[in-house]
Amino acid sequence: MIGIIGSGNVGANTAFFLAEKGVDHVTLYDVQEGMAKGKALDMMEAAPIRGYRTTINGTDDPGEVLDADIVILTAGAVRQPGMKRDALFEKNRNIIESYAGKITNPDTKVIIVSEPMDVLTTVFAEKSTLPPRQIFGLGGLLDATRLRFLIARELKVSMENVAAQVVGRHTDDMILLRDYCCVSGMSIENFLSPEKVRELFEETRKAGALIVEMAGRASAYYGPSAVAAELAEAIVMDTGRVLSVSHVLDGQFGIENVALSLPAVIGRTGIRKVVTPSLTPDEIDILKRSAQSITQTIEEADHA
Amino acid sequence: MHKVSIIGAGHVGATAVYYIAEKNLADIVMVDVVEGLPQAKAMDYLHAAPMRQYSVHISGTNDYKDIADSDVVVLTAGLPRKPGMDRMDLMKINVGIAKTAAQAIAEYAPNAIVIVVSNPLDIIAMTVLQESGFALKRVMGMAGVLDATRFKYFIAEKLGVWPGDVMAMVLGGHGDSMVPLSRYTRVAGIPVDELIDAETLESLVARTRTGGGEIVSLLKQGSAFYAPGASAAKMVEAIVKDEKRVVPVSAYLRGEYGYHDIFLGVPALLGKNGVERIIELDLTTEEKAALDESAAAVKDGVDTLRSFYSPG
Repeated sequence: MIGIIGSGNVGANTAFFLAEKGVDHVTLYDVQEGMAKGKALDMMEAAPIRGYRTTINGTDDPGEVLDADIVILTAGAVRQPGMKRDALFEKNRNIIESYAGKITNPDTKVIIVSEPMDVLTTVFAEKSTLPPRQIFGLGGLLDATRLRFLIARELKVSMENVAAQVVGRHTDDMILLRDYCCVSGMSIENFLSPEKVRELFEETRKAGALIVEMAGRASAYYGPSAVAAELAEAIVMDTGRVLSVSHVLDGQFGIENVALSLPAVIGRTGIRKVVTPSLTPDEIDILKRSAQSITQTIEEADHA
Repeated sequence: MHKVSIIGAGHVGATAVYYIAEKNLADIVMVDVVEGLPQAKAMDYLHAAPMRQYSVHISGTNDYKDIADSDVVVLTAGLPRKPGMDRMDLMKINVGIAKTAAQAIAEYAPNAIVIVVSNPLDIIAMTVLQESGFALKRVMGMAGVLDATRFKYFIAEKLGVWPGDVMAMVLGGHGDSMVPLSRYTRVAGIPVDELIDAETLESLVARTRTGGGEIVSLLKQGSAFYAPGASAAKMVEAIVKDEKRVVPVSAYLRGEYGYHDIFLGVPALLGKNGVERIIELDLTTEEKAALDESAAAVKDGVDTLRSFYSPG
């Protein structure tokens, strides 16, 4: 069973995408009474048309989802126009930390979507008894998906033919890896000038904020939900997908106890293996700075 | 609804039909010289439709007239390779079959895009191009998609990763003379040489080269058809859905990569117009040398073809 905490736009769409993918069972929960039940029922009523066999339940009792094989944490406030993701930390920290103490099934995998994602993944892992390989934040995968879209749109080629990796923090400090961008295996250099690549990188960096501004109020949720479902599917199906996920590093690039995105092989047990990418000295500096800023954000909040 | 005709209702043709039907890509006509065979297989597929829920129509025929107005024709007809048999051994018989098919395609489906699957691939493609008189971008061979999918699978199996995350580009002729480009092989964007040591990778390349032969020797009789059928269907999908998919295609070259008047596997963009663009990569000296060798092998075959058969 996949449990989803928070049945707002991200939570509900994640359930919907998971149903379309054909997982067995999804349970939605929300603090707002009735909302999870209502959305779950709405989705089930679409099942005869869409043909999914997934059962989707809604509940007002968080106890029903805490034991799930996978818990997807989408609860918390979302960004408003002009707001940085970090501004949400104070609001969302208590919610996320409270679940760290409640999720006690040693086999549960946790996917954190709430923002600021890397910081929340770090504090969740600190409080949780689960091993770090079972705790993920959604960051690099979403950024890489947006970059893939932008490259495919620019080149007018099928999106499935474009691969990309984005590592580091899910903020403007994300590290977009030019050498890992390719079309059907062929380096992006064969298709785009360095200037154009830089432009698309910049667009990717601003992609989340652009959606917040365009939509006027809500932040992006189709993209985040799609990648949350993708990651959950990779776990459930034990596929061995190679996805850039935020997780607590254990010494890569000299970084420990802080969650940042690096590519990893994903399976039923969580992270099977981390792939350490080749980074330039500049990129390593950015990664280290990102780690420091996360530590600092947490320390400042602790002493506030 | 698009219309796709599959010439040759053997294992490869019938398996391609399966994938095309499951994805509801097009109405399908299966053509074969054996009376009753394409009709039987088409009927069998229709019997499964209520369960599998495809809505395309599938029919079988012995008459080329029924391919009328096809958007895509997949040519799989030809005798299969027997164990120990070289691809070139099949040439004479299969060229004759291709010649008849190409003339029929030109007559009844003059706007079709033709995907050649029959071996020897590069030579059959040349025969079809000559006999049909079609524009160059409308005749192509399926080889690289199959070689690449085998190579991708072997890499995924070795690394324990999802096969869908592996991308690979292969150049050159089919099978023994293909040129796999490890430089253009990646796992979720990560260059494969960062994940697999050179020696292991070389063994996977070698296994890919003989991938078809490995299946032939296991089966004792007959040759691979699931992966070939899936590869042909993938190309059909790219065309009927105008996907602009970048895949290795055996395409007619006019100076690309320095070759002329030859069908050779190259990266190309597939869409509703067929081979819409050939992508030219900067090859290293070693890669170019390997491709030269592959091209020479294909050229030899075509010269042999011309020695016993002149189009006209």
